[in-house]
Amino acid sequence: MDKNWVKVLVAALFEVLWVIGLKHADGFWEWIGTIIAIYISFYLMIMASKQLPVGTVYAVFVGLGTVGTVFADFAFFGVPLQLAKVVLIVILLAGVIGLKLVTEDNVKEGVES
Amino acid sequence: MAWVALVVAGIFEMLGVTMINKLHKDRNLQALILLIISFAASFGFLAYAMGSLPMGVSYAIWTGIGASGGAIIGMILYGESKDWKRIVFITMILGAVIGLKLVS
Repeated sequence: MDKNWVKVLVAALFEVLWVIGLKHADGFWEWIGTIIAIYISFYLMIMASKQLPVGTVYAVFVGLGTVGTVFADFAFFGVPLQLAKVVLIVILLAGVIGLKLVTEDNVKEGVES
Repeated sequence: MAWVALVVAGIFEMLGVTMINKLHKDRNLQALILLIISFAASFGFLAYAMGSLPMGVSYAIWTGIGASGGAIIGMILYGESKDWKRIVFITMILGAVIGLKLVS
């Protein structure tokens, strides 16, 4: 897998952490951790978009962050996972995979030009 | 007022996404500062809007304006691919994000 896509994945993971932080952080160190997570996620997302289209990276970043947050709510905070959510997550992940497939071609074209 | 703040938050997010493009193109401090200001303003207005609007609806509209607007500006101003497959996949992702935020 291309390293720019790995950066987007890790950026989304840190996005989940800071979204949880914004909701649940309590006390000085938890807020510091949340701020560090915001910094890391944005840094990686911006670095990934150096070579990939920004619109693509941002959509995947927001999308995977949302899936991660829904999953974290389900796994750690006891929020139910209804069928509608599962269907939407499948559509979203299909979109991410599709975007990855069409973007690889674009990157190659970009290198040639 | 909360709705106005929400739309303004979305527009600032769109600007922030556009500034990422500008940063990679110009590589200067001005673009970086504008990027930070845009996202900070975006979060500020979003937080204000969420004070009186439901969180799911707020987040859905914010993402809807910001991420799709950012993608559209990237295609118009920064030559990002207008391939229909790319547009369909981005729409699937952002549509699902909006749906998830509304359901949650």
